[in-house]
Amino acid sequence: MDLTRRELLKTSAAAATASAVGITIPAAALAKSKEADAGVQWDKAVCRFCGTGCGIMVGTSGGRIVATKGDPDAPVNKGLNCIKGYFNGKILYGKDRLTQPLMRMKNGKFDKNGKFQAVSWDVAFDEMSKQFKKTYQAMGPTGVGVFASGQYTIPEGYTMAKLMKAGFRSNNIDPNARHCMASAVVGFIQTFGIDEPAGNYDDIEHMDAAVTWGANMAECHPILWARVSDRRLSNDNVRLVNLTTCSNQTSDIADTEIVFKPGTDLAIQNYLLREMVKRDAVNHDFVKKHCVFSTGPYDIGYGMRGTDKYAFDAEKDIQAKELRITLDKDEAIAQRRKEGEVVEQKNTKKPVKHWMITFEDFKRGVEPYTLDFVAELSKGDADEDLAAYKAKLVELADLYADPKRKITSFWTMGFNQHYRGSWVNEQIYAIHLLLGKHAQPGNGAFSLTGQPSACGTAREVGTFAHRLPADLVVFNPKHREFSAKLWKVPAKTLNPKVGSHITKIMRDLEDGHIKWAWVQVNNPFQATANANHWIKAARKQDNFLVVSDPYPTVSAKVADLILPTAMIFEKWGMYGNAERRTQAWRQQVAPPGEAMGDVWQGLEFAKRFKLKEVWGEQKVPGLKAKGYDDGKLPDVMAEAQKMGYTPEDTLYDVLFANKENRKVKWPDAVAKGHGNHIAEKLGDGWFPEKALFDEYRQFGVGHQHDLAEFDVYYGDKVRGLKWPVINGKETQWRFNEKYDSYCAKGSGFDFYGKALKKLPSGNLDKPTSKDKTSLAHKAKIFFRPYAAPPEQPDDNYDLWFSTGRVLEHWHTGSMTRRVPELHRAVPTAQLFMNPNDAADRGLQRNDLVWIESRRGKIKALVETQGRNRPPKGYTFAAFFDKGVFVNKVCLDVTCPMSKEEDFKKAAIKVYKA
Amino acid sequence: MNISGILVIVAPENVDSTVETLNKLDGIDVHHIEQSSGRIIITQEAESVHDEIDGLKRIRELPGIVLAEMSYHNFEEDTENVSSIPEELDDESLKTDNIPPYLNE
Repeated sequence: MDLTRRELLKTSAAAATASAVGITIPAAALAKSKEADAGVQWDKAVCRFCGTGCGIMVGTSGGRIVATKGDPDAPVNKGLNCIKGYFNGKILYGKDRLTQPLMRMKNGKFDKNGKFQAVSWDVAFDEMSKQFKKTYQAMGPTGVGVFASGQYTIPEGYTMAKLMKAGFRSNNIDPNARHCMASAVVGFIQTFGIDEPAGNYDDIEHMDAAVTWGANMAECHPILWARVSDRRLSNDNVRLVNLTTCSNQTSDIADTEIVFKPGTDLAIQNYLLREMVKRDAVNHDFVKKHCVFSTGPYDIGYGMRGTDKYAFDAEKDIQAKELRITLDKDEAIAQRRKEGEVVEQKNTKKPVKHWMITFEDFKRGVEPYTLDFVAELSKGDADEDLAAYKAKLVELADLYADPKRKITSFWTMGFNQHYRGSWVNEQIYAIHLLLGKHAQPGNGAFSLTGQPSACGTAREVGTFAHRLPADLVVFNPKHREFSAKLWKVPAKTLNPKVGSHITKIMRDLEDGHIKWAWVQVNNPFQATANANHWIKAARKQDNFLVVSDPYPTVSAKVADLILPTAMIFEKWGMYGNAERRTQAWRQQVAPPGEAMGDVWQGLEFAKRFKLKEVWGEQKVPGLKAKGYDDGKLPDVMAEAQKMGYTPEDTLYDVLFANKENRKVKWPDAVAKGHGNHIAEKLGDGWFPEKALFDEYRQFGVGHQHDLAEFDVYYGDKVRGLKWPVINGKETQWRFNEKYDSYCAKGSGFDFYGKALKKLPSGNLDKPTSKDKTSLAHKAKIFFRPYAAPPEQPDDNYDLWFSTGRVLEHWHTGSMTRRVPELHRAVPTAQLFMNPNDAADRGLQRNDLVWIESRRGKIKALVETQGRNRPPKGYTFAAFFDKGVFVNKVCLDVTCPMSKEEDFKKAAIKVYKA
Repeated sequence: MNISGILVIVAPENVDSTVETLNKLDGIDVHHIEQSSGRIIITQEAESVHDEIDGLKRIRELPGIVLAEMSYHNFEEDTENVSSIPEELDDESLKTDNIPPYLNE
C-alpha cells in the first residue's frame, strides 16, 4: 500500500470514529475522508454475533466486503464495536467455506458409512426427501425433527416453523436458543403472562445502581458494558455490584464483587426478599394494585431422563435423583423440612403448575433466609472472611431497598443455564416488583440475551416445540384456530401435542423416537451437554442427519448430508435483539459457489411434498386433545379441497408461493440496487423475505406484539424499532402507562400479558381450592425455595466445572475461529483454575491435563492467571474450541420448567495428562 | 496492513499526558482531541489484525484509561498469510471446492 493511500485511510478511519462518537472535526479532514471512501458502497446492517444487536455499516467494493464500522446512528452501540463485531466482514471469508452440497457416498449412491462427496442440489434434495418420507410414513410427524436457531433471520425462522407446523404437522422444531434463554422466557410468561423485557438499554443511562447476576458483561456484552462503565465513571453516586461464582473482568470495574457458591443465588434472592419484608421496604401500594403472590411444587426433578437405560454406569447415581432425592441440611432449612428426608419427585411432568398464596404465606416462605443462614450457605470463596462477606450482602440489600435509588438487574447464562433457571428468573422479578422498581426508566430487571435473534426469531416467531408466533402456543385450541386461519390451512392441520425440546430431540435420536433431523444455523453436536451420547446417536445406522452450514463444524462432521449455506450479509435478513428492537439488512454480496440461504433451502424442500403426502391421517403417539381422536391427527384433505387446494398441490404452493405472497414482487424498490440470490434463484417473481415477514407480522398486530411493515425497517433513518410499534412509534417501557399505549387508562402500570392469568389459591405446600380466580392486569411475585444442585463436587470428582464464552470467540467458534486474528488471540480453551488447586495436584500453568467427569474426559491446558480468577474448588473452560470439547464433560440436567441445560455446574477431577 | 479507528476516553485532566504517551507508541497517530469530555480519536496501523488486538490491549493497560474501543476497521489490502488457523483447516489442499479432509477423517 502506498504512503498516500495509507495516510488517506487513516484520515478516513479517524473521521469515521470521530463522527461515530459525535466529535466535530475540521472540514478538510472530512473532505479527505470522503475521498478515501470513493468506490466503497456503504449500507446499514446488524452484527452477526450476540443479542446486543449493535448496528454496523458494511462497506462493499467489487462484490466483496472490504470494511466495516460501528454505525454512528445506531442507538445501541453509538458507533462502537467490540472485537468480534469488528470482524463481521471477515467471517465470510474463511478458507474452508463450504460451497457445494456434500453427501456420504459409496458406489455412486448414499451410504451412511461412505465418505463425503460433492453432489448437486437436486441429488441432495432427492436423498433428503426420500429419507424424510421413509421416516414420516413409518413414524408420522413425531419421527422427524429440526434443530432450529436463535441465529435464524426472522424470515428463516418463520419459513421453517410454518413448514414444520402447518406443512408436516410436527412440533419437533426447537432452537439452540432453548439452551440460551428458555428459563428467561418461563420467568416472563409465569410472572407477566407475556414474553420479553419491560425495559430497554436506555435503563443504563437512567440507573443509579446496576447488579449483574451470573453475567460476565465485560466479556460477553462488551458494548453494553462500555455504556454501564461510562455511566459509572461519569457519576460518583452510581454503584455496580457483580454477583458471580468466579472473579472475572466484570469485577474489575464493579464497586463490589460477591463470589457465591454455584446454585446459591436462589438463597441470596430469598435473603433479599426477606430483608425487604423485615425492613418494610415493600412498596405496598404498587404490590396491592399490580401484583399477587404465588408458589408451586418443589419436587419437580432435574430434567433428566426418568430411566437409567441409556446412562453410562458412572452417570447412574446422578440420574437416580430424577426420581428421588435426600434433602441436605441447607435444603431442609430452606424448604422447612427435615434433613435426610427422602423426597419423591412427583411433579416432574407438571413442574410449571402454580397457585396463589397470601402475603402472610410469602413471608413465612422467606423467613428461614436469615443473613447468617444465607451467608454461610452461599459464600463462594473459602478464603474470604465471613463477616466481610455478610457486609456485602447487607450492602446489596441496602442498594435494592433504597427508595431513592433507581436500580437495574442484569443477568444471562448464570441464571438461565441453571437446574432451577426459571425460579431464579422469577425471583429477580419478585425483588423488583416487591419494591415497585420495575418498568420505569432505570428501574427494572433486564434479561440480556446471547444470540442475535433469540428474541426476534426464536421467541417472537416461535420456533419452539410448544410455540406459534406472537406468544401463541400449540396446546391452546383458540391459538391453533387463529394460526390455521391466518395460514389458510384446515383448522385441524396443526398438531396440539407439544413436540420435543432440543435436548429431547438428541435423546430421541439416541432412543429411536426421531430418525430424521435437520440442523440449521447452529452446531448442536458441539453445543449440547453430555455430547458423547449425541455424537453416537447421530451415527446410528438408521438415523439420517442433514446439516446446513457454511463451515465444517462438529455437527457437519457427524452429518450424512451437508448443505452449503449463505452467511449473514449474503442474504436479506432481520434480527430482533434483547430490548425488543427489530433490525434489518439487505444482501450485500452474493454467496460463494453454490451456497444458498436457509430460506431457499426450506422453500426448495417444501416443493418436494404434495398435500396428499402430509395432510392425510397421521399417527401421533400420546396425543390427547379435545376434538381429536387419541393418538392421531385427522385427515384434513377434504377440508383442504373445500378451501380450493388439490391433493397434488405442493407445500411450496400452499404455504409459501401462494396467491397473496406472489403479489409481493421481486425486484422491489426497497432493494436500492442490492441483489437477492434467493428470489433470483427461485425465479418465479416473488420476494420471499418481504412477503413472509408481512404475513408473519399479522400475528402480532393488535395483539400486543405489533411490528411495523417490512419496508419501514429498511428506511434510511431507521435503526430498528422496539415493538410494540403503534402508529409507527416504538414502545420504550412496556407495562408503564406513560410509555405503553396497551396500558389501560388511569392504571399507572398494567401487566396486561394474557398467559396463565387464572389461578387456584393455596398455601405454601399445595393448592387448597379448585376454583380459579382471574388476575388479569397483574404480575406474580413468586416464592421459590433454595434447592441444592443435583451434582456437586465429592471425594472423587472434587472440583466444580463451568463453561461459557470468552470475548474473542462466539459460541462454538465456527465463525470466529475462521478469523485468523481472533483464533490466534485465543487459540484454545484453557482450564482456568485457582493456583492453590493446581499446586495441590502438582500442576503448573500450561500443563496439559485431563478433565474428567462421570460423562467423559477431555484434555486442556491449565491457566492459573489471566482474566478469570476462580476461587478454590472452582474451574472454568470456554466451549468455543472443538479440540477441547467441553460438552463431553458437561451435565445434561435441565431446568425442569424451561428444559434449558445447566452448563454451569458439573463435578470434575483434574489430573496430569 | 490493517488500519483501525479507536476511541480513547480518559479523565479530562489526563488528556495531555495520555496524548503524549500515545504518540510514543508504534503505529499510533492521534487525530482528534475533545478536551472537555476527555475523548481522543486515534488510528492504529499494524501488520496483522492480531497485532492490532494486542495494540488495543496495550492502550487499555495505560494508566488512567477509562475506555478504548475500536470503531472502524479497514482491511481492504489485507493479504496477510494465515499461519495459525484451526488445525482441521491447516491443509495445503484446502481450496474452496475441495472437501475439507477433516470431514472425512
